Amino acid sequence: MNFRVILAIIVCKLLRILSRLLHRGGTAMPGRYALKICPDLLRILAQNVKTVAVTGTNGKTTSARMIEEAFANEGASYFSNKSGANLISGITTEFVMNCSLGGKMRKEYAIIECDEAASTRVFAQLQPKVIVVTNLFRDQLDRYGDVTHTLSSIREGIKGAPNATVCLNADCSLTSSLALDLPNKFIFFGIEQSAAGNHKPSELSDASHCIRCKTEYEYSYISYGHLGGFKCPKCGYSRHAADYAVLDIVEQGSDYSDVVMSIKGDKQLVRINLPAMYNIYNAVGAISAIMEMGLSLESAVKAMGDFKCGFGRMEKFDLGKAGAKMMLVKNPAGCNQVIDFLQNIKDKFSLVICLNDRAGDGTDISWIWDAELEGLSRLGGRLQNVIVSGDRAADMRVRIKYAGIPDENIVLEKDYDKLVEWMAAQENTVFIMPNYTAMLDVRQHIVSHCGGADFWE
Amino acid sequence: MELKICHLYPDIMNLYGDRGNVLCLQKRLLWRGIEAEIEKRPLGSDVKLSDFDLLFIGSGQDFDQQLLLEDLNKGRAREIKAAIEDGITTLAISGGFELLGNYVQDADGKRHDFIGALDMYTENHSDRLTGNYKFKCADNCGGSIVVGFENHSGRTYLGSGLSPLGTVISGSGNNGSDGCEGVHYKNVFGTYSHGPVLPKNPEFCDFILLTALQHKYGSIELAPLNDEAELMAHDEMCSKL
Repeated sequence: MNFRVILAIIVCKLLRILSRLLHRGGTAMPGRYALKICPDLLRILAQNVKTVAVTGTNGKTTSARMIEEAFANEGASYFSNKSGANLISGITTEFVMNCSLGGKMRKEYAIIECDEAASTRVFAQLQPKVIVVTNLFRDQLDRYGDVTHTLSSIREGIKGAPNATVCLNADCSLTSSLALDLPNKFIFFGIEQSAAGNHKPSELSDASHCIRCKTEYEYSYISYGHLGGFKCPKCGYSRHAADYAVLDIVEQGSDYSDVVMSIKGDKQLVRINLPAMYNIYNAVGAISAIMEMGLSLESAVKAMGDFKCGFGRMEKFDLGKAGAKMMLVKNPAGCNQVIDFLQNIKDKFSLVICLNDRAGDGTDISWIWDAELEGLSRLGGRLQNVIVSGDRAADMRVRIKYAGIPDENIVLEKDYDKLVEWMAAQENTVFIMPNYTAMLDVRQHIVSHCGGADFWE
Repeated sequence: MELKICHLYPDIMNLYGDRGNVLCLQKRLLWRGIEAEIEKRPLGSDVKLSDFDLLFIGSGQDFDQQLLLEDLNKGRAREIKAAIEDGITTLAISGGFELLGNYVQDADGKRHDFIGALDMYTENHSDRLTGNYKFKCADNCGGSIVVGFENHSGRTYLGSGLSPLGTVISGSGNNGSDGCEGVHYKNVFGTYSHGPVLPKNPEFCDFILLTALQHKYGSIELAPLNDEAELMAHDEMCSKL
């Protein structure tokens, strides 16, 4: 262990202690300085840890929480970057906080969610045992460029980790194309036609044409967005058979889903402790990672029923007469899935939409027009109120107006204290749909009103 | 009254909320009791643009450029050029704006010939011009202040016979150097502004609608709408820039 490594570790730990004394998260900043002192720090620390890394545009955090639950079930010694700091700086901080001053890791496993663009550097440093790529949808175009650029970043990342087993979403033509030209061992997960049914293609597909030869795909079924049974009629690139497959959706409740999965040939009934189709994808992806990490089938299945995601992902708050539920939305695909979920709510509810345009969100908010918010006008009388908030509340107001909600029925409230008071006074359930930094803000106001964990916990 | 609107390449030119522009054109006609028929013309579909009153082309991703070129070469480029010369009102955004020009030159110097309907060209650089911006439309384009979001690697230069859509007040515009934003030729309005541009610039949207309606029906006026929501979004961004 050389001097630079030890110095970097000490500085990182001190900065973290200082941050916490100042009641800040201190999730990314300490790691950033540590890497300045020792650029190799993450690679050195990660050498003796078995890591599972999760990337992809949607579902990283939820998938990582599901995987983590299985490690907890087995009583394994592990840590994770639970705070959501998923760039190289935040990941480094997390490793340092789990090592001794001499650089000896205290934990056997790490469950790390990794930003797509950051994966290019991070995967080579981590040398993960297993990498999961959840999916690829258009996301923060001003930051990542279009979705094929994101795909290239992840490809570069995996190239740096040739020994990793890579779990890919079979139903996503973009994601599964990673298997075409990389030497890794690949495992596929997906939802079969028998479970997905056949949804009509959304108006906007993020991958309508073949990634190899640019011919328009044909689909035998679509689960949502561009996910489903794709096939290129010209070059033959098509959905790979899934090793971990959802065969049937037995029940979709408002708080959970019951599904039948084929896990390497074994049929299992799995309770997923979160509702909505996109969480079924997260679950089957998480199970593939858990199994490929060598954990037991029992732990994997049990984890899906036990895990709690929280932190803005279908997170419940004891607010108002009927409670509130927060559903983080960051891009059109995620937003469409949440609106689909709302279609299945039987009781009356209110909806709060919070939109920011800060660096963590992407400064370009044009994606709200790609999202099919028109679905809100199909909720009829069940949708009691719509409140728009956040830095760009005025833009969301316009979007909702053009989606068919009369402007006189839309309330604009930028003051979060007043917003929380309003939510607390509601008789019916309140659904809150914020994007990332708006979620951090509104969540903090709710937590100080009715309790909840800090974001790094 | 009725406007027939053609949404060209909705399958690949749809990157930055472009459907919001079409929705906005449609709603602002319907709210005034004017019929609006939207027809989509994806890659490979039959082209007869002379049936339409308004053409819309959005922005696309780099991945799809080759697909687009192939389709344009199958006769669509000629159709678009003829429609523009006939005075059909056209709104072209970002990539759609670039493709109306003579060519787009990649950062490595390779040239792709495009429609050549307008005497302008685009040079792609490796860095992008990105961010919220605002410009003032020329008087013969309504004269309104437009706010939008630009995100383009292309630098577009207009030929000497072409005038811009407006003058940049804040941001980069066509190329970050000559202060020009977009293009105006006959009834063509080209701009780098997405966001999408029309919903929070109702004056600009109405100017385009009026252009198309007057081309079809002669001298008419548009009934005013309640634009409180639209103008609030417009004014908030305007005051930040």
